[in-house]
Amino acid sequence: MSFMEILLAIVGLLGLFTALVVVVLSLTWMERKTLARIQQRAGPSIVGPHGLLQPVADAMKLATKEDIIPSYANKLLFWMAPVFVAVPAFLIWVAIPFGDKLAVMTLDLGLLYLVAINGIGVVGLLMGGWASSSRYSMLGGLRAAAQLVSYEIPIVIVILSIAVLVQSLSIDAVIAGNTITINGSERVLPGQAAIPFALVMPMGLLIFFVAGLAELGRTPFDIHHAESEVVGGPFVEYSGAHWAVFFLAEYLNTLIISALIVILFFGGWSWPSPPGSLFGNELSSTLTDFIGVAWLMVKTYLVAGFIFWIRGTYPRLRIDQLMAFAWQVLIPLSFVNLLLVATVMFYGWPLWVMTAFSLPIIVIVGLVVQRSRGVRGRPQTVRILRRSAGEIGRPMTSIDATATDRG
Amino acid sequence: MLGGLKGLGVTLRGALRPKVTAEYPKEHLPVDDRYMGFPALTWDFNRDEPYCTGCMVCVRYCPTECMTATMKDNPKFEEGVSHRKKIIQKFEINLGRCILCGICVDVCNFDAIEMSLEHERSERLRDGNRVGLPALLDMGKKYQAQVGWRQSKASPASPNEKLEIKAAANPAKAVDGGAKEQPDSDSGEDVT
Repeated sequence: MSFMEILLAIVGLLGLFTALVVVVLSLTWMERKTLARIQQRAGPSIVGPHGLLQPVADAMKLATKEDIIPSYANKLLFWMAPVFVAVPAFLIWVAIPFGDKLAVMTLDLGLLYLVAINGIGVVGLLMGGWASSSRYSMLGGLRAAAQLVSYEIPIVIVILSIAVLVQSLSIDAVIAGNTITINGSERVLPGQAAIPFALVMPMGLLIFFVAGLAELGRTPFDIHHAESEVVGGPFVEYSGAHWAVFFLAEYLNTLIISALIVILFFGGWSWPSPPGSLFGNELSSTLTDFIGVAWLMVKTYLVAGFIFWIRGTYPRLRIDQLMAFAWQVLIPLSFVNLLLVATVMFYGWPLWVMTAFSLPIIVIVGLVVQRSRGVRGRPQTVRILRRSAGEIGRPMTSIDATATDRG
Repeated sequence: MLGGLKGLGVTLRGALRPKVTAEYPKEHLPVDDRYMGFPALTWDFNRDEPYCTGCMVCVRYCPTECMTATMKDNPKFEEGVSHRKKIIQKFEINLGRCILCGICVDVCNFDAIEMSLEHERSERLRDGNRVGLPALLDMGKKYQAQVGWRQSKASPASPNEKLEIKAAANPAKAVDGGAKEQPDSDSGEDVT
C-alpha cells in the first residue's frame, strides 16, 4: 500500500465518519417526525425550521449531561461496552460501495466482512449488560445475546444465498454482476442494473428484512430494551455521552440494514438507472459518482422510513414468540431459499424460476404462520409438594398449582 | 400476515390525517360552549348591573368555601331603574381553591353565576388566584359574548316599568296615583 493510498483512505474515513454522524442526526429527526405523523402529532417543530435542529440540541444535551457510573459496576467493561457497539457500526461502512468503485476499501470478501463485523455488536451489549451490575441490564444483555445470535443465522444464510447467486463474495459483484466459467463455458451473471435481486429472490428479501429488524432491536423485536419489561435493557445504567454512543450505534445499524437491503436487493447505486448513462447521455465521472450516491441514499432513506413506519404500527413480540419465529420459521425458510438458489445455479436454469418458486412458498408459509397463531405449547402443570401442620410424618400430598388450563 | 398489512394501512391513513395537537403556548385549542371552566359573574345588560344580589346561596353551598360575598342596597332601585332591591358589593372567589364542581351555578336563583370557558390560569403568587368582583364580571361578560348567553327566566319589571305598565293598562287611574295594586301586572313576567 503506497503512502497516497493510505492518505486517501484516511481522508475517506474522516469524511465518512462526519457524513455518517450527520445522517444519523437526520435519521433521528426523521423517525420522530414519522412517528408523530402516524400519531397525528406535529413532532419536533421548535428548534430550527420544522425542528430540523432538534437532533443537534439533543446531542448537546447528551454531551453535557453527567456521566454516571454505578459504584458496583465493572468500570473498565462499563466504559468499553459502548465502544464495542459503536465501532463495528462504523467499521461496516468501510466496505459499503456508495458508487462504482466508490468505497473506502473495495474488499474482495466484502460480504464475509459484513457478516463478521456485524456479529461484534452483541459482545458490546452483553458486556454493558453485565458490567452495569443491574438485574435489568443483565437480563437485557442476555436477551440481546439470544435474540441477535438467533437472527444472525437467517441473515447470514440469505447473504450466502446472494453470494451463491453471483458466485462471488465481493459486494461490487452483487451490484455489477459477474462472469463465471463453468465446465469451460462462460456464463454471464446479470448485475442488478438489469434486474434487482428483490425480484429474483423475494423470499430472501422478506427474510432479510424481518431478521434485519430483529438484529437492530427495532420495534416489533425490541425485547432487549423493552421499557415495560427490562426498563432499558443493557442501557439502563448508562447516561450522558455513553448512552449517546449506544444511541448513535443503534441508528447507524438501522442505516446499515437499510443500506444492505438496498445494495443486496434493490441494486445499490446502479438501479433504477445506471448512473453512467442517465437519459442516454455520457456523464463526467464526478457527476456519475454523485448520482450513484444519490440513488443509494434515496433508496436507503426510503427503507429506513419503512422501518420507522413499522415501528409506528406494530406492538412488541413476546420473547418466546420472537425466538420461535426465528428458529421455526425464518431459519428453515432461509435454508429453503439457499437450496433454491443453489439448485437454480447448479442446473443453470433462468433466474425467473427462483421467483416462480419463491412466491408460492411465501404465501404458503404466511398462511401456515397465520393459521398457527393461537396455538401454544401445552401449559405445563407445576406440582408443589406441601406438608401441612397436622400431617407431620405422613406422606406428602401434591397440589395442582395450575388449576386453570388456558387451552 | 394479512392483518399486519392491514395494520400498516391503518397507520398510513392515520399519517395522512391532519394533526390533532396544537403547539400550546402559541395556539390554543377551542373548548366547547358547554365546557365548565372557572365560575364567573354574569352581567345584566338590560339594567346595566350584575345579576348577583349577594344572597350568599352559592357561598353557603360551596364545598371548598372558596367564595365570599357582601350585599348592599341597590341605588338603582331607589332611582326606579332596577327591580333589585339589593345588589352585590364585594365578591371574591379563590379560583385556586375552586374545584369547578358547578354547585354554585345550580343553586343560584338569579342566573348570576355561570361556569365560564376560562380554564388556563397560572399566577406567580399564592394569592394571585383570588379574583375580585370586577375581574369576575369581566370573565362573565366575555363568557356571555362567547356562548350567546341568555337568562333562563325573564327579570321582573323595575318600579319605573311597573308605573309605565299601569299607565298603559289603565291610563285614567295612573294619573290619579299608583297606590292601588293591580294583581296581573304585579309579577311582570311578560316584560322582558
